[in-house]
Amino acid sequence: MKKLLKKSIVYGFLLIIALEILVRIFHLGKDNPTRYLDQYGVEKWEPNQHGFSVTGNRKQNFSEYKINSSGFNSYREFTPTKDKIEIAIVGDSFIEGFHQDYFNSIGKKVENALPETEVYEYGYAGYDMADQLHLIHKYKEQFDVIDHVVIYIKFSDDLTRGSYNIVRDRLALESPLNKALKKSKLLVYSKSIGVFAPIKQLITKSINSIKGNNTKHITQNNSNTNINKNKKYIDNFKSLITTYGYDKDRFVLLLDSKIASPDFIVYLKENNFDFIDFSEAFQSSNQPNTLIYDQHWNNHGRDIIASLISEYINHK
Amino acid sequence: MLFNSLEYIIFLPVVFFIYWAVFNKKLQTQNWFLLIASYFFYGFWDWRFLFLILASTIVDFFVGQRIHSSSTARNKKSWLWLSILFNVGLLGFFKYFNFFIDSWIDLASIFGYTIHSTWTLKIILPVGISFYTFQTMSYSFDIYHKKITPTRDFISFATFVSFFPQLVAGPIERASNLLPQILNKRTFNYLQAVEGLKLILWGFFKKLVIADALAPLVDDIFANYSQYSPSTLIMGVFFFSFQIYGDFSGYSDIAIGTAKLFGIELSPNFKFPYFSRNIAEFWRRWHISLSRWFRDYLYIPLGGSKVNRWISIRNVFIIFLVSGFWHGANWTFIIWGGIHALLFLPLLLTNNNRTYLSSTIAEKTILPSLKELFQILTTFILVTFSWIFFRASSLTHAWAYLKAIFSNDIVLKYAHPSGYRMIDYFIIIILFVMYEYCIRKDERVPFDFKSRYFRFLIYAILLLAILLFYDDQIDRSFIYFQF
Repeated sequence: MKKLLKKSIVYGFLLIIALEILVRIFHLGKDNPTRYLDQYGVEKWEPNQHGFSVTGNRKQNFSEYKINSSGFNSYREFTPTKDKIEIAIVGDSFIEGFHQDYFNSIGKKVENALPETEVYEYGYAGYDMADQLHLIHKYKEQFDVIDHVVIYIKFSDDLTRGSYNIVRDRLALESPLNKALKKSKLLVYSKSIGVFAPIKQLITKSINSIKGNNTKHITQNNSNTNINKNKKYIDNFKSLITTYGYDKDRFVLLLDSKIASPDFIVYLKENNFDFIDFSEAFQSSNQPNTLIYDQHWNNHGRDIIASLISEYINHK
Repeated sequence: MLFNSLEYIIFLPVVFFIYWAVFNKKLQTQNWFLLIASYFFYGFWDWRFLFLILASTIVDFFVGQRIHSSSTARNKKSWLWLSILFNVGLLGFFKYFNFFIDSWIDLASIFGYTIHSTWTLKIILPVGISFYTFQTMSYSFDIYHKKITPTRDFISFATFVSFFPQLVAGPIERASNLLPQILNKRTFNYLQAVEGLKLILWGFFKKLVIADALAPLVDDIFANYSQYSPSTLIMGVFFFSFQIYGDFSGYSDIAIGTAKLFGIELSPNFKFPYFSRNIAEFWRRWHISLSRWFRDYLYIPLGGSKVNRWISIRNVFIIFLVSGFWHGANWTFIIWGGIHALLFLPLLLTNNNRTYLSSTIAEKTILPSLKELFQILTTFILVTFSWIFFRASSLTHAWAYLKAIFSNDIVLKYAHPSGYRMIDYFIIIILFVMYEYCIRKDERVPFDFKSRYFRFLIYAILLLAILLFYDDQIDRSFIYFQF
């Protein structure tokens, strides 16, 4: 019995090492860039990092990223001046684009469509409207010389806050323990394909059964909650633009009106906020617009977004 | 509790260590603990159905003693019939009740009568009922045929009926094999435990990599068959051949391996059935414990093949049709059994049904002969064809699927419903078949290589494959749990 136990531990340990080596050889796990909080309290990637992003099991999507000196994934440096025409695209992971090669991003596609224009992609996974306007506000000097600023928002996710504060949960991913765990590509890969999901489910199930479940109560109040939520999100939008400023001449929102509240769209129209709505273009497309393994835009989806932005700038 | 669930991954080592560290002194405590663990294992799914297992256990425990103590043949037979009626009654009610009602309504409608039945019930099929009822019946049969004497130790008998590794999907054990092991104190055997762990790894690979990876493809193709080209439909049933093999033989390997951890040897259930050279050999290699059960308790009592030709043909049809029906309350399973009876018949009529009793392909060579290759491929194609009926949800579905295969559409490319690369699945099947071919001589030792480094490399590759094909979004239950 002791022999079995000892040998199992040794074999288990050696197998974990062997798997770690195999996962690294086949580059199955994604690289994790380091995030940090700059002197203005803006969360971004540490400048000048480089690596590969992997999605799905068996490396279904493999792309290269390159963090520039401004802390964003882009093939170019951000050097806005009054002499050039520049466009800034500010958004979350859809704009950040770790799921695509950095040299084939939406910004690059816009540049191809609009020669002599430089496009700066200020994309960061998890950014909401508060993060975005706070970034623009803190880097006012830089953004003031940029000719057009496109802000990508998803109504249901990006207007949950009425003011900016640091998201500690995200920064906790840079804790010494998390950093140490992320060094194991085997762990990173296993986590990304959901190996640990049953453990989480079991823990959640156990906690719920101890606490007792409140699902029924939540369901009954669902419709009222939605109405209140929509109102709250519009109020948050108003609060954010009042706090951090919003230049209606240069700023434009990029959104999908199909998943936004109709009240919000009416509000934008009534108050002369420009917006690029990609819902119709996506719906009329005869090809899928998102990746198979996750919700992000695929190359075709990015083509559509880039062409809509280019058209808007051309007409402006 | 599923073998491939987190709960089981916690349950197994805990039970294993308590069993050997705490309850290893006395036979009684070993069996008590195994019984409690087995009931916990089963009750984790639905504790209410534990009463059915207990009822079946009590009935056969006392019936066994009565059969043994009865002085007249008539009394013995009466007690045996009580066991049969009770167990078949349980099966009939929980598994076949609605089927008989629905079939009666369908039959009446053929003759123009419309019956609105209020008889169909919302019955949950208790997991493993087909397996443990057959196991307890075998105990009564063996006592009746004087192959064994009944035990007076109820706890040991209850442990025999509910032994958790094989409780829900077999192998269907004979009392003559399992009960003596339960009635004797087990001592820890390092080599046996290691063999068990190896079988568990191999079983997990078959289930998680082969069966679970192919399941979404098979589900998609069978559900949307009308949209797909014949080549895709053929691919769908080809994948199902490997899915069901990986699923059920993987389960059996985990069950046999787990039993070894507790010092118990279960009967083999699979011996590389897709390397069979004819249908008769296939049935000596596929779900062996069930085939043997039907052979010993149905086919031979009916006279087997040692009767006149017509009776022996009738017997073949009876066992294949009953075997098909055992799998599920659906006409598709009966037709599936009927197809196998038809495929078996030529072998019976030409006295070739016992040609390959114990040999394997390419027994003394590395590669099979052309003749063997042809035989294997022919048998595989025939078996695969029959799986259409096994997998289809109804006869109409099976027939429509078959018709679509023979439609005139061109070959069209198929895309995975979740977008994964299709080539991966063909590569893994080819590698799996090649590996199975290498180990074809003994299913009990899947890693019988002299070099420990090579063995280690194989373990690492299998674990990597499990990680490569792991998908947390799919239904991971075993196909045979529904039977």
